[in-house]
Amino acid sequence: MQDLRKALSAHEILSVEVYKTMWLKVRIDSHDLLAVAQTLKDEGFIAISTVSPTDFLEEDRMEMNYFFENYTTKRNCWLKCDIPRDIEACEIDSITPMFPGANWHEREAYSMFGVRFRGHPDLRPIIVSQDFYDKTPFRKDFDWDAHEANTVENIQQIVDAFKEEQEINEEHLDASSSEMILNWGPTHPASGPIRLKVHCDGEDIISIDPDIGFVWRALEHLVTKKDFVGAIVAVERLCFMDNINSMVGYCQAVEEIADVEITEFAKWMRVLLGEVSRISSHAMGMGGFYNAMGLHTVGMWNMDIREYFLDFLESYSGARIATAAIEPGGVRYGLQMNMLDELQKALDKFDATKDDIKTIFVNNPTMKVRAAKKGIITAKEVESFALCGVVARSSGVKIDVRIDEPYAAYAQVKMDYVVQKEGSAKDRLSTLFGELEQSIDIIKQAKRHIEAEIENGNFNPTKDHMVKVPKKLPKGEAISRVEWSRGEVLMHLVTDDKAKSPYRLKMKAPSFNHTMMLNKMLQGETLSDIPLIFGSLYICQGDLDR
Amino acid sequence: MILEFIEKVYRVSKALGTKSPATEDVREHLMHKSERLRGEHRIDYETCIGCDACNKICPVSAITMKQLPFKKQNIVPEVNLGVCIFCGLCEDVCPTKPEKSIVLSGGRYDMITGGWHQDQADFWVNVDVPQSYIDSRLEEEEAARVKKELLAKKKAAEAALKAKEAEVADQTVPETEEKS
Repeated sequence: MQDLRKALSAHEILSVEVYKTMWLKVRIDSHDLLAVAQTLKDEGFIAISTVSPTDFLEEDRMEMNYFFENYTTKRNCWLKCDIPRDIEACEIDSITPMFPGANWHEREAYSMFGVRFRGHPDLRPIIVSQDFYDKTPFRKDFDWDAHEANTVENIQQIVDAFKEEQEINEEHLDASSSEMILNWGPTHPASGPIRLKVHCDGEDIISIDPDIGFVWRALEHLVTKKDFVGAIVAVERLCFMDNINSMVGYCQAVEEIADVEITEFAKWMRVLLGEVSRISSHAMGMGGFYNAMGLHTVGMWNMDIREYFLDFLESYSGARIATAAIEPGGVRYGLQMNMLDELQKALDKFDATKDDIKTIFVNNPTMKVRAAKKGIITAKEVESFALCGVVARSSGVKIDVRIDEPYAAYAQVKMDYVVQKEGSAKDRLSTLFGELEQSIDIIKQAKRHIEAEIENGNFNPTKDHMVKVPKKLPKGEAISRVEWSRGEVLMHLVTDDKAKSPYRLKMKAPSFNHTMMLNKMLQGETLSDIPLIFGSLYICQGDLDR
Repeated sequence: MILEFIEKVYRVSKALGTKSPATEDVREHLMHKSERLRGEHRIDYETCIGCDACNKICPVSAITMKQLPFKKQNIVPEVNLGVCIFCGLCEDVCPTKPEKSIVLSGGRYDMITGGWHQDQADFWVNVDVPQSYIDSRLEEEEAARVKKELLAKKKAAEAALKAKEAEVADQTVPETEEKS
């Protein structure tokens, strides 16, 4: 941290402070951005987590937030600078030539806030549909009602744009060659709601341009319309498969601004519930990998195991999928001891099935031949594109927020990085299964700890779960990171004075970065590799579009 | 040969006698039962204090408040189940004690297993307040109003009496001062 401070002192720094021991919060002038970014890159901050603009309507400024991460020292840098809010002057230098991982994040800032990035190689709108082009929907003065009043015209605009795109394709492609643009998805059985515009020559892929935003719900905007408690139902919809951990991330940010410390019991419950949720997600992810290859058996087996864990979630919270079980101030419900017996049943079910899954599917010789050399991501690419979670660890990069910046009760949990070496599609499947086993281990630790502490009388499972959080929060801002099932989720929460609802919540979701890699990974491969590589990346459209 | 035939007849006749599991209506037999299962709402109009908290917290605006012909505590929630996401926040904020006035947990689940919805209107949790309850509440309010009026009259009379006494005292005080 001292080295970074020294290196940065060469530039004109407006303010600098240490934030939460892991972060250095630096405010600079927007003209110095490129020079400071270069210094950061030289210091080893190669990954950029996200770019998040905040629109301050009353102060007439747009605040840009850049979150840089160093994967080796695990120190991070939070860069802030102001740019004019006026749509004509709302411009800043693009850092994409230096940090390729910023590419889509800058495009998102451009489509949502109208921030133009000078020198960006490909500044097109992303996520939003054609009717939102040049309309900056996340700015505070955008009129949603007026936009929704002309639904028919808006849909017509989307249809026209699609037809125009097809016509342009017809014109540009050589009629005598076998080149064509193929739409993979959104109705492909393995795709989910995403469309890959595959430019191919016969069976060989020339390039891929993902068209995303089919399930864009504007969650980051919806959150600002709800109060701090009601916002959890928007946050959990980041992706249903792992809904607990996203709520944990949001609630930690709220608790930090409210200056509330939750009880030890709630911390352990967050670990327990989070890992149950991670299992339910990983089980589906493994199924998704094989489903994309055309084999549905493992998906069914994993679904069977998953049901037992969902039973526990249902007993605890009253819902199987959308649990809404984490609230600012702790966890929402008290715990009854018979629920832990149900969890034990689920753990037993996993232990009874895991050997079969391992021998038949994880070490499957046919799968190994097919997937071992496909979709390779090197450790260097992981860092420069800020990949995280299962994808990063499969390439041998040791990052895991649970270990690097422990939250909840993870500091007391014994765990290690689950890593593979090569970063191929096969390695990603192995990592997924390795993490399933790890999660089971963590659940066992947490369960043992909770039971022992209740026995000793240190935890009161029916009363300790909540601490009161005031309804109105002071002015402030916080970031919180959690290890979500697909990777690191970074929540950047900004509140106004005496606020009843968030002023701005940026959710950085891992699938966004992973989808950015598709073009790079699939160039030169054949069409039959798309489902395999796409399936191995463990992408969920929920957090891709938000 | 004959033995085989007898065995086959026996097997078929046995199968005819047993009830096939496929004919059983499993909608009532849950695989897993949870006391906290967030199902259809139950609303108690008698304990509801009409504080509007459930309506305010609802993240999807599924709740509308029904107006009742009283002066106080005159609104009661109604839920549109087609919009509701069953998050249960309305139950959490309900301030009535010991029983909450709006409860989802342990509610009916059969709307997801099918069966009872014939009509769009079935996706509403309506509150049917019987006329007798309305009458009794109105009577209560009327009685309270009359009582309050009487009290106010009594108070006014008392105040007037006091004022008179004070006046008399005012007149008498200077006299006593002069005397002393």
